[in-house]
Amino acid sequence: MSLVLDDVTVRRGIGPVISNVSLEVEPGKITTLVGPNGAGKTSLLEAISGVVQAAGGTITMDGTDLRKLSRRRRSTAGLKHVEQGRMIFPSLTVRENLKLTARTQADFEEALALFPELEKRIDNATVLLSGGEQQMVVLARAFAAKPRYLLLDEMSLGLAPVVFLRLMPIIKQISETGVGVLLVEQFAHMALGVADDAVVVTSGRVSYQGEPQGLLSDEDLLKQAYLG
Amino acid sequence: MSLADTTAATSSRQPDAGSPAPRRHGPWWFPWAVALGVTVLATGLAFALPDYWLLIATSVLVAMMSLLGLGIVTGTAGMIALCQLSFAAVGGWVMDLLMTQTALPELLGGAAFVVAMLVGATAASLLGLIVGLPALRLRGVNLAVVTLGVAAALDMTLQKVSFPDQWTNERVQRPFGIPGAEDLSGNRSYFLFVAGVVIIVALGVFYLQRSRWGAGWRMVAFSERGTASTGTSVTSAKLSAFMVSAFIGGIAGSLMVGQITTANYITFQTLNSLGLYVLSMAVGAHLIEMAFFGGILFVLIPEILKQFNIPLEWASIIYAVLGIQALTTKSSMGNDLRRMILAWQRKRGLNSIESTLVSLEPVGAPVPAASDNVLLEVKDLRVEFGAVVALSDVTMQLHEGEILGLIGPNGAGKSTFVDSLTGFLPHHTGSVTLDGVELDSLAPHKIARAGLRRTFQQDRVPSTMTVGAYARFVGGKEVDEDLIDEVLAFFGCPGTQAPLQMVDVGTRRLIEVAANIAAGPKLLLLDEPAAGLSHEEHVAFADRLRAVPERFGVSLLIIEHDLDLVRSVCSNLVVLNFGQVLATGRQEDVLANPEVLKAYMGETEMVS
Amino acid sequence: MDILGSLVVGLSSGGLYAAFGVLLVLMATLTRVINFSQVAVGVFGAYLSLRFIPLDLPTWVIILIAMVTAAAISALLGWIIATWLGESSTTARSAVTVATLLGLISLSFLVFGTRPQANPPLLVGPLFTFGDIAVTKVGVLMLALAVGIAAVSRLLLTKTSLGVRLRAIADRQTAAELLGINVKGLQLFVWAQTGAMSALFISIVGNAQAGSANSMIVLLIPAAAAALVGAFTNVWLAVAGGLLVGALQGVLTGFPSITLLTDWVPLTVIVLFLLWNQRKEVWDVAR
Repeated sequence: MSLVLDDVTVRRGIGPVISNVSLEVEPGKITTLVGPNGAGKTSLLEAISGVVQAAGGTITMDGTDLRKLSRRRRSTAGLKHVEQGRMIFPSLTVRENLKLTARTQADFEEALALFPELEKRIDNATVLLSGGEQQMVVLARAFAAKPRYLLLDEMSLGLAPVVFLRLMPIIKQISETGVGVLLVEQFAHMALGVADDAVVVTSGRVSYQGEPQGLLSDEDLLKQAYLG
Repeated sequence: MSLADTTAATSSRQPDAGSPAPRRHGPWWFPWAVALGVTVLATGLAFALPDYWLLIATSVLVAMMSLLGLGIVTGTAGMIALCQLSFAAVGGWVMDLLMTQTALPELLGGAAFVVAMLVGATAASLLGLIVGLPALRLRGVNLAVVTLGVAAALDMTLQKVSFPDQWTNERVQRPFGIPGAEDLSGNRSYFLFVAGVVIIVALGVFYLQRSRWGAGWRMVAFSERGTASTGTSVTSAKLSAFMVSAFIGGIAGSLMVGQITTANYITFQTLNSLGLYVLSMAVGAHLIEMAFFGGILFVLIPEILKQFNIPLEWASIIYAVLGIQALTTKSSMGNDLRRMILAWQRKRGLNSIESTLVSLEPVGAPVPAASDNVLLEVKDLRVEFGAVVALSDVTMQLHEGEILGLIGPNGAGKSTFVDSLTGFLPHHTGSVTLDGVELDSLAPHKIARAGLRRTFQQDRVPSTMTVGAYARFVGGKEVDEDLIDEVLAFFGCPGTQAPLQMVDVGTRRLIEVAANIAAGPKLLLLDEPAAGLSHEEHVAFADRLRAVPERFGVSLLIIEHDLDLVRSVCSNLVVLNFGQVLATGRQEDVLANPEVLKAYMGETEMVS
Repeated sequence: MDILGSLVVGLSSGGLYAAFGVLLVLMATLTRVINFSQVAVGVFGAYLSLRFIPLDLPTWVIILIAMVTAAAISALLGWIIATWLGESSTTARSAVTVATLLGLISLSFLVFGTRPQANPPLLVGPLFTFGDIAVTKVGVLMLALAVGIAAVSRLLLTKTSLGVRLRAIADRQTAAELLGINVKGLQLFVWAQTGAMSALFISIVGNAQAGSANSMIVLLIPAAAAALVGAFTNVWLAVAGGLLVGALQGVLTGFPSITLLTDWVPLTVIVLFLLWNQRKEVWDVAR
């Protein structure tokens, strides 16, 4: 029972941006995927959730072949993809954003409890929130749907590090409820700090896979993955 | 695409597509040979066709003329225009007025029709100008609303005023003394006259599409930003397309009136304009031969229905179905045909054309040094999107002759910086000066003309042109053609004859860089030029870039998050983070700065 | 008092323009389509329902037939666009509705003939008169419908979970899909609803305003002008725009010497609005 990618290849235009990537995301655990910009991390997440179609390989979630399902079916089957760039619905209030996915009032309250600071903004249109608050809304909205697996893409994008730092323990908390999290990050240190597994992708291929500690303690390996 | 591309594709079938061929436009005689062939064919038909089919053939030519004009707007320039027959009506009405209500026929005799036709077409293109001006700044759909409004309003007005020949019950005299509609011999001569006009207009459209105007229309259809960045005004490109289209529509209107020597508003009603638009989408009327084919469909389908006693309304329904099919598949018969030809050429061993960048001998130039002259000066640049500050007080300098790198993690504001420098974000504060010229209040195409150009992250090279046509368009009116060849060869790009459709995306971006260098700006901004290049191409590209300031006199500002390229070509770096300048200075110093590493990787200390 | 009289007549047409303007705004915001077939599906549905009059059905059944037919045609069109042009630009999506407009006009000439339709207005006569100025029942009903639909749609969009989902799709379609929202299904719902409303409007005004298939174009232009006044985003401004166009047309009919100009009123409103709206050059992010 897990989200399994086997030998996945993704193409954009003519060339492959992801070549033969295999990895596994287990329920209740955080797998952190790091790598320099342009390594193909976002494309990989998009292939899992169906924004783009994978060109090769298999993607299964708890035994279900995801590649046969539409975006919406993958989502209703329990896979939630939080895209990069804080995809709020600007005209919706915080409450409406959360109600969009929460099936019960309990789910709604549980999601809101992740970020008590959102309560005083509950009836504001999300477009009027700060970047950090918007990111909280997006994360809480995905959690309210009670997903089995969460794909989180570049939560840190355009956020001050101190804001991002606030999100990390929450992501840990979410995973501890049994959700499998695939966390894609450019800010490697913070993201690896909460990870159970680490994967480094460079130029569309897996260049490291294993313990996050191994990566964190080897500064040279990490630097190499980033700055070439 | 037009005939130009076919000829180019044919000539590049030679094995060495990379070497610049002496011919620039394919054989010069090709269009004239086609024109001559069509003339001979038309003359033959004029004598061979039975009377009834001669009338049909004339209608085909007139419909083709309407589609030819419409194709420029809908196909080449990618807009929705629903009043092509309104232009025809205005052209025909003015011609009708001059021929029946003024002394023009007495003054000019046989040539009066031609003069009146040209005056009518000019009136139609003026209407095009009036209609187009308010609509063109907004996107395509508003043009559709406005043109449909024109068609409907003119329809009702024409019903009330009717055509001038009906005021005095007088027939319009055909040109050069050709007898009127009742005389069958006259119809043969009139068919030849119409064929002659169609051939002249088709030749005109052919050369226009290959001219700067035509290239501008294609660029606009593909990307408005890309067009403005080459120094061409988007508004004038769209307006010229619209006016040429209306002019040709006006001529078509005169030919329609001349065919029956009297006019009825029914001919020009809105429904027929809609039919023409939908048909032009279905066949791809921007291709001259497809406009002709569309003309045949427009006349022949109703004719066949008539033969079988099927109601004529089925014709429009057939157009609608063909149009929906074309629109939903985002293609047209003409494009499908071209694609089949291309696939056939591929099968015969003509594969997509790739760059030869990697196999070039390295230049081996050192990282260029900056001179003392400040070329670009940015002071306190600030951009806000609502409450979000995207750039705050960015100040930097770039010296003549250098390659400056602007780096920073994703979301640092690099793209916003480029957009505000090149005029796409007019609401910034602070100042930008290039070589002493203030750029802040200028429109993007004016900034490009002032000597600051840019390339784009996304592909902005339209696949509907040849490499040469694109490079000449980017280069501007005074571009040196030898320089284009030189720069293309310098970057290992395919020769000017190669159709861009057969060039892969990575190579297209190299062509974009080369063409912009050949345009000779003072400063060129390269927005992530290395994305999508392989490692070997990367190294070769860096080697070539280093030689650019010295060899072509163009300074470069490279925006990258990939540090490989930056390290090998830049002497100085500016680092952006959260919209602010984090560090600036010599490359080695900046990259050794721990703050910069932190910006790229996040705060190490805060977690551990 | 001639002017006042023609103003009232004009305003009564204005109610119809406003009602269609509101539908166009709803379509543009919720499905990203400027629907050139908006009037056409209604006219077609209404004409088809007329064929059932000889069966002696009650009027409300006739109108229901019109609404169901129009809803079905509209939903089919929406399905074509959602299936093949799901992520295309507004222009590309709207172009399809131009083709279907052509098809519907021709089909209706084919099926119902070119002669004016025996399509009696639902309500006849004045609601009240003062002096020699009569305010018609149809005019008041159309205005009430325009305002009513604008208000109901506002309420629906802000107060119900269905409305929240519709707004989410309007804001960001892909993000909504990734949250498991049935984007296609909800868009088809909007297509069907606006189609049914179009047929209702046409059934109400009857052959006074929609005598032949030509009205598929003739009514669309002032409706588009109304929607443009609302910048295709604001239903209330669209209502005002419809009334403005109607009032201008009405007043101009009071001056028989310039009667030609009345046909150009909607276009003039469109052009002036575009000019005002486009004082500054805008660069589309995507292009």
